[in-house]
Amino acid sequence: MMHDVWTVARKEWLEIFDQLLRFKRGGWSILLIIAFLGVISPLQLGTSWLSSPLMFFYWPLLTTSMTSTLIADSIAGERERHTLETLLASRLSDTAIILGKILAAVMYGFAFAATNLLIGWTVVNLKHGHGELLTIPAPRVAALLSLILGGSFFISGIGVFVSLRAATVRQAQQTFGVIILLLMMAPVIFAQFVAPERQANIISRASELGLETLSLRVAGGLGALALALNVAAIRRFKRGAVVLD
Amino acid sequence: MTVPAIRVQGLVRDFPKVRALDHLSFDVPAGIVFGFLGPNGAGKTTVIRVLLGLVNPTEGRTEVFGVDPRTGGEQVRQHAGALLEHNGVYERLTALQNLDFFGRAWHMSSGDRAARIRELLSQFGLWERRDESVGGWSRGMKQKLAVARAVLHRPRLVFLDEPTAGLDPVASASLRDDLARLAQQEGVTIFLTTHNLAEAERLCSLVGVIRRGQLLDFGTPAELRSARGAPIVRIGGRGLTDEVVQGLALTPGVGGVERDREEIRVQLVPGADVGAIVAWLVGAGVAIEEVRRDRASFEDVFLELVSSEGDKAPGVTR
Ligand SMILES: Nc1ncnc2c1ncn2[C@@H]1O[C@H](COP(=O)(O)OP(=O)(O)OP(=O)(O)O)[C@@H](O)[C@H]1O
Ligand SMILES: [Mg+2]
Repeated sequence: MMHDVWTVARKEWLEIFDQLLRFKRGGWSILLIIAFLGVISPLQLGTSWLSSPLMFFYWPLLTTSMTSTLIADSIAGERERHTLETLLASRLSDTAIILGKILAAVMYGFAFAATNLLIGWTVVNLKHGHGELLTIPAPRVAALLSLILGGSFFISGIGVFVSLRAATVRQAQQTFGVIILLLMMAPVIFAQFVAPERQANIISRASELGLETLSLRVAGGLGALALALNVAAIRRFKRGAVVLD
Repeated sequence: MTVPAIRVQGLVRDFPKVRALDHLSFDVPAGIVFGFLGPNGAGKTTVIRVLLGLVNPTEGRTEVFGVDPRTGGEQVRQHAGALLEHNGVYERLTALQNLDFFGRAWHMSSGDRAARIRELLSQFGLWERRDESVGGWSRGMKQKLAVARAVLHRPRLVFLDEPTAGLDPVASASLRDDLARLAQQEGVTIFLTTHNLAEAERLCSLVGVIRRGQLLDFGTPAELRSARGAPIVRIGGRGLTDEVVQGLALTPGVGGVERDREEIRVQLVPGADVGAIVAWLVGAGVAIEEVRRDRASFEDVFLELVSSEGDKAPGVTR
C-alpha cells in the first residue's frame, strides 16, 4: 500500500517538476516568491526575521497556496487531460491514488516552505551573523512547521473534494478559490456572530497561550479536520462511481 | 470446460438518457483475439469499462477469468492491461517516465521494468526518443506508447479500444502481427474494438457485432460471412444499360442488382441458376466479357447487420 501511495506521489512530482522547469504553471512566480521570502525579506528584517511573529501568518498561507494549486489539479487535471480512466484501469487501489495525490501536494508545499526557511536562515546568518550562529528556538521551528503541515493537509483535504467533482482544472480552481475566500472571512464571521465579551475572552485566553502553543493547537485542530476530510474523500473516490470524463 | 476469459450475462447499463447496453450475453474463450464491432455509440467502450470495473452494470453479471469485476476489480485489473478510448499517456512525462510509472504501479522489479521498457520501446521504434516529453509527439507515436503500456506488465488479458486508430498502415500491420503473436505464443487474450473491418477479419478468431447495446451476431468472421452474405455473381460486359439492369432485377433467381463501376453485382437467391441469368443477359443483347462468383465481403455483412434492415434479417440473435 505505501509503495503504491509513493508511486502515485512520485508521478505527481515528476509532472510538476516538468512544469516548473518549463516555467509554466507558476514557475516564474515561485522563483519570485523564493527571492522575496527567502532572500529579500530576511535581508531587510535582519535578526528580527528570526523572531518575527509574521512568520506564523505568511509561511502557512504561502505553503497552503502552493499545496492548493497541486491538489486542485489532482483529479480534475487527470480528467481534463484524459488520463484518469487509464489510471483507474491500473491495479492501483482507489485509496492509494487519493493518498498519493494528497501526499504529493502536502509534501510539495511543506518542502517548499522548509527550503525557503532554510534559505532565509542562511541569508540572515551570512548577513547579520558576524561569525556567530544565529538560531531560531526549536519550539518555534516545531510550532511553525506543524502549522504549515496542518494547514497544507487541511487545504488538500478540501481541495481533493473539489477536484473530485470538477470537470476541468479551471473549474476546480474557481470553486476552490471561493472556498478559500470564505475560510479567510472566518475572522469577520467570528467578529459578527460572537458576542464582544466572549470575543475578548477568547482572544485573551489565546494570547495567554503564547504563539507557539497556540500554533500547535491550531495545527492539531486543522490536522484533525484534515483527517476527517481525507477519510471522506477516500470513501467518495470509488471506481464505478467516479465520473471518468 | 475451462473458465472463459470473459463472460457477459444479461448485461444492462443505463445512462440517464440512454440504455447503452441492453441484455448483452456472450463468452470469450481465453487465448484468442476477440473483435468487438459496432457502429459509433453501440456500447463497445462501455462493455470494456464494465469489464474493468470502472462502470457498474445496471443489471446482469460479468466475469473476467471467473472474477466479478464489481467485487474483485483489483484482481481483474492486476491481470489486465488496457488502451482505452483516450490513449491516457501523461504528456508532461517522458516516454520512459510514463512506462516506469505503470511498471511501478504493477510492482515490476526495477530490473524487469528497465528491460521490458527497453524491449517494448525498441519494438515500437520509440527507444531513441525515450527521454522526450510525450506532449510533443504525434498521435500515432502516443498510440504506440499506449499499446506498450497496455502490455508492459505481461497481462493475461488486454483490452484495446481502437488500437490502430491514428497509426500509419505499416505501424498498424506490425501491431496486428504483434497482437497475433501475443495471442498465439503467449496465450494472451485480446479484446479489441475496431472500425477497421478488414483488420477485424484478418486478426480476430471470434467477433461480436453490437448495435444499440444489443448483440446482433457472434462467431468467427467466416461464420458471419457464410451465414449472412448471399452468394453474388459479378458480370462484366458491354451493353449493360439501365434498362437491362432493371429487367434483370425482375428475373427469377435474382435477389438484387447493383452497378459497381463497369460491372454489375447480382445477388442470387438460394438455388438460383447462374446459367439462366447469363442466358437472359445474352438474350437482352449484352456482350458478356466476364462472369465471376463472389461472396459478400465482411464489410457487406457488417453493413447489412447494422443497417436498420439488419433488424428484420432472419437469424438475428438477441
Ligand atoms: N458516461 C456516460 N454518460 C452518459 N451516456 C454515456 C456515457 N458513456 C456512454 N454513454 C452512452 O452510451 C452509449 C454507448 O457508448 P459507447 O462509448 O460505449 O459506444 P462505442 O460503441 O464505444 O462508440 P464509438 O465507436 O463511437 O467509440 C452511447 O449512446 C453513449 O452516449
Ligand atoms: Mg468507443
